[in-house]
Amino acid sequence: MRIFHKTSFDFIKYRKIAYAISIILLLSGMVSLAFRGLNYGIDFRGGSEVVIRFEKNVDVGSVRAALKDAGVSGTLKQYGIDRSFLLSTVFSGQTNELKSLVSNAFKNRFPENSNEIVRIDSVGPSIASDLKWSALKALLGALAAILLYVGVRYELKFAAAGVVAIFHDVLTVLGMFSILGGLFAFMPLEIDQSVIAAFLTVAGYSITDTVVVYDRIRERIRGKKPSEYEAIFNESMNQTLSRTIITGGTTLLSVLILFIFAGPAIRGFAFAVFSGILIGTYSSIFVAAPLVYDWLRMTKSSVKLRGGSAA
Amino acid sequence: MKNKPFNLFLIVLVTAVSLWSLWPTWRDYSLSQQMDRFASAEDSLKFSISHRDEIENARRKSLKLGLDLKGGMHLVMEVDQVDLFEQKAWNKDARFHAIMAKVRQKAATSDAGVIDLLAAEFRKENIRLSRYFYDIRNSDREITGKLQKESEDALTRAREIIRNRIDQYGVAEPVITTQGTRRIIIELAGVSDENRVRNLLKGTAKLEFKLLREPEVLLRVLDKLNTSLASQGSVASPATVPDTSGRAVPAAGTLLTAPPRTAAAARPLNDVLTVLQNGNVYVSEESREFVSRLFQRDDIKALVPQDSELLLAAKPDQLPDGRNYYSVFLVRKTAELTGGVITEAKASFSAEGAQPEVLMEMNSEGTAKWARITGANIGKRVAIVLDGAVYSAPVVQSKIPNGNSVINGIGSVDEAKDLEIVLKAGALPAPVRIMEERTVGPSLGADYIRAGMLSMMWGFIAVSVFMLLYYRTAGIAADMALVLNILVVLSVLAGFSASLSLPGIAGIVLTMGMAVDANVLINERIREELAEGKSIVSAVAAGYDKAFSSILDSHVTTLASAYLLYTFGIGPIQGFAVTLMIGTAASLFTAVVVTKEIFTFMISKNILTDKSFG
Repeated sequence: MRIFHKTSFDFIKYRKIAYAISIILLLSGMVSLAFRGLNYGIDFRGGSEVVIRFEKNVDVGSVRAALKDAGVSGTLKQYGIDRSFLLSTVFSGQTNELKSLVSNAFKNRFPENSNEIVRIDSVGPSIASDLKWSALKALLGALAAILLYVGVRYELKFAAAGVVAIFHDVLTVLGMFSILGGLFAFMPLEIDQSVIAAFLTVAGYSITDTVVVYDRIRERIRGKKPSEYEAIFNESMNQTLSRTIITGGTTLLSVLILFIFAGPAIRGFAFAVFSGILIGTYSSIFVAAPLVYDWLRMTKSSVKLRGGSAA
Repeated sequence: MKNKPFNLFLIVLVTAVSLWSLWPTWRDYSLSQQMDRFASAEDSLKFSISHRDEIENARRKSLKLGLDLKGGMHLVMEVDQVDLFEQKAWNKDARFHAIMAKVRQKAATSDAGVIDLLAAEFRKENIRLSRYFYDIRNSDREITGKLQKESEDALTRAREIIRNRIDQYGVAEPVITTQGTRRIIIELAGVSDENRVRNLLKGTAKLEFKLLREPEVLLRVLDKLNTSLASQGSVASPATVPDTSGRAVPAAGTLLTAPPRTAAAARPLNDVLTVLQNGNVYVSEESREFVSRLFQRDDIKALVPQDSELLLAAKPDQLPDGRNYYSVFLVRKTAELTGGVITEAKASFSAEGAQPEVLMEMNSEGTAKWARITGANIGKRVAIVLDGAVYSAPVVQSKIPNGNSVINGIGSVDEAKDLEIVLKAGALPAPVRIMEERTVGPSLGADYIRAGMLSMMWGFIAVSVFMLLYYRTAGIAADMALVLNILVVLSVLAGFSASLSLPGIAGIVLTMGMAVDANVLINERIREELAEGKSIVSAVAAGYDKAFSSILDSHVTTLASAYLLYTFGIGPIQGFAVTLMIGTAASLFTAVVVTKEIFTFMISKNILTDKSFG
């Protein structure tokens, strides 16, 4: 089977449209970040989350009322598994008290319907601030390491454009988290540790995708004149297009399966990786390579090659 | 890559080692399946006894599941350094307490070191640390150095004491480590009673014997408190008192069968306290939290005689009206004797009934002191105080010469046993608080396993079927490489006793999608070469050679970001990073070396021709 056989799209010609799309995506994300902000999970915000599972079906309103009568403050939401609810409240370090308060609240209200506290997550403020810092360090460290590696393997212009593409991908996903956060009951899209892991995965995937295109350009650009660059860029992207789409497809497939089957704890992560790979695939074709092309065109310099293909 | 026999040997070796490393996991699984099949419990017990060595061996070497999959607790506890330093200080005055309160507030939300915060705060107030700490001649730098050492010692000691407590409680394979200067990380799998574990861990276990003041003094103090509170007006008519746990404590006065409300204005404490004829003072269950907070207030403390303090009972008494009440005690501040002298503790039952209690023995120094104290105070009451709550306050009947004492007033046998554990393990150098907790119940863990297995299965089916559809015969090689890749990831986890968690499974599923990338690159390249009219043999060779550069780059970048995740992330994220790293590294071998050998073999058997790439 072949899906993209011998394509000859003129990617370079339409790059301005792609730039516009990217800028709109990024700007709307940034605007939402500025006004709506992000939904932080308890990892970074601090607080307690309790997942309660009932034996039989019960509606969220009556559970909420039972908790309110018992004097438990906090918000209650349906949790992604059957007959389960997620209670988020402030951190106290007194899990025992919280637990007995919750069970007492239900014992009287739903004597026929037994419940079980299946998960407790509780993060104190000092830990939350630590986690925030290490997440930031991991993200910045990853970007620096990738810039360094691609800078050594390729020319600086390639590396810089690659990192711009990473920023583009991660910031767009971040923007989506801000825009869509809290809109869907089955995926709250909170920023927690697993989402940071997703961002790093997206960063890694984004540069991988970009590198494959770069590699082909490098292979073909050797000894060519700047006037031929446009054709070379286009042909290289067309030649790698099949691979780019297929790999993106298999990865998307496996992430989609995670999203469907792996349960609510993984859903935010799966969503971030899924959208990140979609955008990463797009950006490796429409952002990373065209940026290098424009940069080369503006500086009117030819590529100084470093490294080289294994051939 | 040119050395064919070596490559073949390597492939066989990797496969064999992977299978060998996963063999115990398979045995463990099949043995437990076998045991479940027995009709009766006796048969299954008999089987487990006769196969004990085999079962234990398999279990020890099998793939470990993470706390989230098998159910368990992950706790991060923090040693209260502010409290520790307060203990070390002398000459403490109001100014000192004010500064320490500020330090405590800052330490709660900042991750800067407590010592730095402390030094900065004192510098801001222009007070030398030596005014309160150690020797007056010490410089600030010397003192912070000493405090640093003190806090390190405290952390090590706290870890050992906590380990002792857990060992005596009996949890299989606890993992207890320290992190930074004030944190202890505890991982416990398969805990049946989490509440008990939390109580066991967080209590300081500071045991003190304190002399009770006379009942008249207590009543005088309460009078003073009443007068003061009445003059402040609003204070003692507590509306809802916000509690740290975020719930509202019911208004203290309302639930009580209190003395006439008309007197409330003049004697506001009467709302929450009940004074009996015999001079005993009680507070109702509902008001305990409020009163205990009241007693902590500085303005209230100032009204109590210098050398005394107000304490509440640990356990309630049932009064004739059927409600639970806590006794209020006025004791001397300075303890006559502390828990350091206890050498042995034993949970038991009291002679006259089924009341659980804990018997204690003291060392020679403690025995001598205890004899002197009891001898000098016959007829008076001594309160036995644990972590600031009075367990019992017996009247001293006679001099106790043998160093025995007993804690009674304990709620349950379990609690007596836990007291025994904490007393034996010794007191923590400073209070330890739970700062982070992640508990997964076994039923949710089973759900996670099911969800993880489903995702792995569907992930594998989706990716491998796609490869077959898209690349036909050439897809077989990629699929075989994929199987080997998963085997390698699992076997490395099992071999290094790393555990598999839900994020780890997510890592494996994601790796499946990304691992075929190398094969996609290679196969696409081979298709191109074939299109140029090359023979299958040279097309395969050129495909591998030309794709290798991209494959290497993409693997290195993925590995780098996974490695950073591993270094900066903690707990669950590390599990994800580890499987992603192993999977990516393994795919460099499986997707490049292994598939090439398969291609070579298939070409030699004429299975793979220039038509086979779809």
